[in-house]
Amino acid sequence: MRNENSVLSHNPLRHGLRIGRTPEPCTMVIFGASGDLTSRKLVPALYNLARERRLPGGFSVIGFARRPWDDAQFRDLLRSGVNANSRNGSVDPALWSSFAEGISYLQGSFDEAQAYAKLSERLAELDARRGTGGNRVFYLATPPESYSEIIHQLGAHGLSRSPNGGWTRIIVEKPFGRDLMSARELNNQLLAVFDEPQVYRIDHYLGKETVQNILIFRFANGIFEPLWDRRAVDHVQITVSESIGVEDRGGYYDRSGALRDMIQNHLMQLLSLVAMEPPVAYDADAVRDEKVKVLRAIRPIYPNEVDHYVIRGQYGSGSVSGRPITGYRDERGVASGSQTETYVALKLFIESWRWAGVPFYLRSGKALPRRVSEIAVQFKTVPTMLFADMPLNAIEPNVLAIKIQPDEGITLKVGSKVPGQQQIRPVTMDFRYGTSFGVASPEAYERLLLDCMLGDGTLFTRRDEVEASWSIITPIHQGWTSGSALLSPNYEAGSWGPAAADEFMLRDGRTWRRL
Amino acid sequence: MIDISTIERELRQLWKEGAGSTAGGQAMTRALTLNLVARAQDGPSAEQMGAVIQQLTASHPSRAVLARMRPTLDEPRLEAFVQANCLLVTQGAPQICGEQITIDAQGSAVTQVASLVLALLVPDLPVALWLPGPAPLEDPLLLRLRGVITRLIVDTRDAHDAVRALAHLAAFQATEARATRQVLGISDLAWAILTPWRELIAQFFDTRPLLPHLQRIDQVLITYQPGERREGLALSLLLAGWLTASLGWVMLDQALSVEEGTVRLHLRRPAVGRGPNAIRLITIDLIPTAPSRDEPPAITSLCLRAIDGVSADFCVERGEEANYATTKAHVAGHPPISRLVRCETPTLADLLAAELRLLNRDQTFATALQSAGIFAEWLPA
Ligand SMILES: NC(=O)c1ccc[n+]([C@@H]2O[C@H](COP(=O)([O-])OP(=O)(O)OC[C@H]3O[C@@H](n4cnc5c(N)ncnc54)[C@H](OP(=O)(O)O)[C@@H]3O)[C@@H](O)[C@H]2O)c1
Repeated sequence: MRNENSVLSHNPLRHGLRIGRTPEPCTMVIFGASGDLTSRKLVPALYNLARERRLPGGFSVIGFARRPWDDAQFRDLLRSGVNANSRNGSVDPALWSSFAEGISYLQGSFDEAQAYAKLSERLAELDARRGTGGNRVFYLATPPESYSEIIHQLGAHGLSRSPNGGWTRIIVEKPFGRDLMSARELNNQLLAVFDEPQVYRIDHYLGKETVQNILIFRFANGIFEPLWDRRAVDHVQITVSESIGVEDRGGYYDRSGALRDMIQNHLMQLLSLVAMEPPVAYDADAVRDEKVKVLRAIRPIYPNEVDHYVIRGQYGSGSVSGRPITGYRDERGVASGSQTETYVALKLFIESWRWAGVPFYLRSGKALPRRVSEIAVQFKTVPTMLFADMPLNAIEPNVLAIKIQPDEGITLKVGSKVPGQQQIRPVTMDFRYGTSFGVASPEAYERLLLDCMLGDGTLFTRRDEVEASWSIITPIHQGWTSGSALLSPNYEAGSWGPAAADEFMLRDGRTWRRL
Repeated sequence: MIDISTIERELRQLWKEGAGSTAGGQAMTRALTLNLVARAQDGPSAEQMGAVIQQLTASHPSRAVLARMRPTLDEPRLEAFVQANCLLVTQGAPQICGEQITIDAQGSAVTQVASLVLALLVPDLPVALWLPGPAPLEDPLLLRLRGVITRLIVDTRDAHDAVRALAHLAAFQATEARATRQVLGISDLAWAILTPWRELIAQFFDTRPLLPHLQRIDQVLITYQPGERREGLALSLLLAGWLTASLGWVMLDQALSVEEGTVRLHLRRPAVGRGPNAIRLITIDLIPTAPSRDEPPAITSLCLRAIDGVSADFCVERGEEANYATTKAHVAGHPPISRLVRCETPTLADLLAAELRLLNRDQTFATALQSAGIFAEWLPA
């Protein structure tokens, strides 16, 4: 099995172990460590990884923010964050104290050169004391306005390259730019300091197991692939709906809107995953190559066509599940005459041999009746009615729905005879992961943080992917700002969006799925 | 006597009732991932196994056939009944259900169980046979079902002498490997319980700078709680077998000594380079500790050591509290790095679930067992 005389290139004790390899000891530097994301998502995810024995000894965290905290205060804050947000309930005190030994706080402002010098010293000290070997992950959990300053400072202090043959990576949170120009600009800034393989652009949707299952479902089952094209598919609907309003993120949201906040990233990712060709391998570049091809093949919507392909909406007051919801314009942080859309529906065409002529309908919105994410592939109906005494329209098309949230699963709608009657009725065959497997899935951030530490970028967005996606989105924004039509509240909170969105589908002789 | 169609009708009825209670009255497909055949020797163990099978439903929805065999009772009797195993995993989430058929056989009727099981298997799905108890390899059910099962699950710790059982299992594996039938995956729950030990030791060497030390190991120290039937010793032999097989260590003749209860195995490293120093000897010490009153026999620590040249020490030690372990790496010239990890004692259902996740032969276990089997042969009874 082993070549004697040779130096080991892989760990022979790993063979046959069912959990994956452990990352090398490293330090994660979190910029914006006193913020919401850090205590609600990042540190709970890291703690859970430690709890599952997925992190190596020596793993360390440095929190960077302005607040005048010391290590103990920072650790306490994180501990209560884990208590409140971990899927495993409150912390195990013994485990926490071992984990927290590696956590420290560094007070500084993002534009303060001295703070980076201190950071550099701290990193070197951890390399020596905790064996982190020059390996580091920088996490930008800050307001997006700060990204470029931090990137610049990291470069200026030589922190984009590791000493001792270690590695350095950087994770960038969403939003990645607010249009094609700014995304390009951010990419340029990043790539002036880092190399593309060092950059991990996060889209937490890709960290959800349910989303990863789309590829498993498509490429581990031979029976669907022959049906997965223009010959068999009538259209595809992708829905990501939220039942909450903007809550306390009004200020942020009002500068963003549904198209930027949801469609540009999450829905485009779902679209690429359902529509992509099989990759030549399941690795970071092969998968992302195929996803980019889908985005590049999307026929652009020009600014003057926007009204024809895109519907936008904004919610007025109403109620969701019996809970009253304030109208969008009355939310805190939202401008009184706000033109920000809280709902978008759009129709896209992918101009490839596989998909030419098949419309992809995407919709996403806030204050809708339910929180649902699903992809529904509707197949063409049978060409002739064989069963003479039944009308053709009594046959409904087959629909394959891949449900991502809240009940992950797959349903297939088929026509079936009603026993004892001359009648065909649709029945759904329903497979739910939740009722078939009772094992909890890890949180998206757990998977993504681990992948980054292991150097696997498959579930992160590559430069060309972000830019391809923005180049579809930006002309739509241009169409809206240059057009004369004004947006005013046009759907009631708790309804399925504006009436125009239904008419939009009816024009094509189709309807939205009722979810 | 039992009628297969009655059992099947009852199963259908069961799922119909289940489907009726789901939201929207949708037709539900049930998911089954395997056939699990289990043999119990008496009532209490049947009950305990039933409970384990029910917990397994969460990760392995299966058709379970649990056969309770009591051949020593006089009156021949064969009965079967059907139940759904439903499990509420999280509050509010839908239940997870699997199905279980319990066969009760006594007297001469036990010989009919295999044919009944064959008729009850769901086609196309793998078949695992779980045989707890002291002598699984002599079990008539194994002989009769050998052609259809894809995985055999035993636990050498159940044997009257776990060390002998290890040698026996290794011999069985060797015979199986020579047979031309479809490959049988063998699982020993004694091996499954070692997974955290393997994982924690392996993790040290996922780090590039530490990986080369793996070729420099001179000493291995394993401490264990012995147990009345040499269970702890069997566990440490499996670990020793695993290290030997994974690291390509070469066994020597006469390579075992026993001193004050400590078993020392002598091996050598594969040659690195040339010259008189190319070949180095390795010792593996298996050291019994004080038995614990309220816990089953277990491994308590595992250390890998390099003493020649730069000394390096890699240890995993179970804590005072059984649910934790400490890992410690110390390479001369660097500060020691240690951490506390959670290491909960797995339940029987956890162990089974882990083994059932394997679809094929577990090659790592196969080679570890082979080496451990040789060590076990060397040991005096
Ligand atoms: N929260 C979420 O659920 C969520 C979800 C997806 C994506 N994101 C993205 O993640 C990022 C962080 O979000 P968040 O909600 O955690 O933001 P936040 O709560 O506003 O936190 C911002 C952090 O940045 C620090 N900061 C701001 N300016 C600084 C400066 N000049 N120097 C040093 N520190 C500074 C703040 O610390 P001090 O006040 O102590 O200086 C604070 O720790 C954003 O890009 C957001 O879009 C967040």
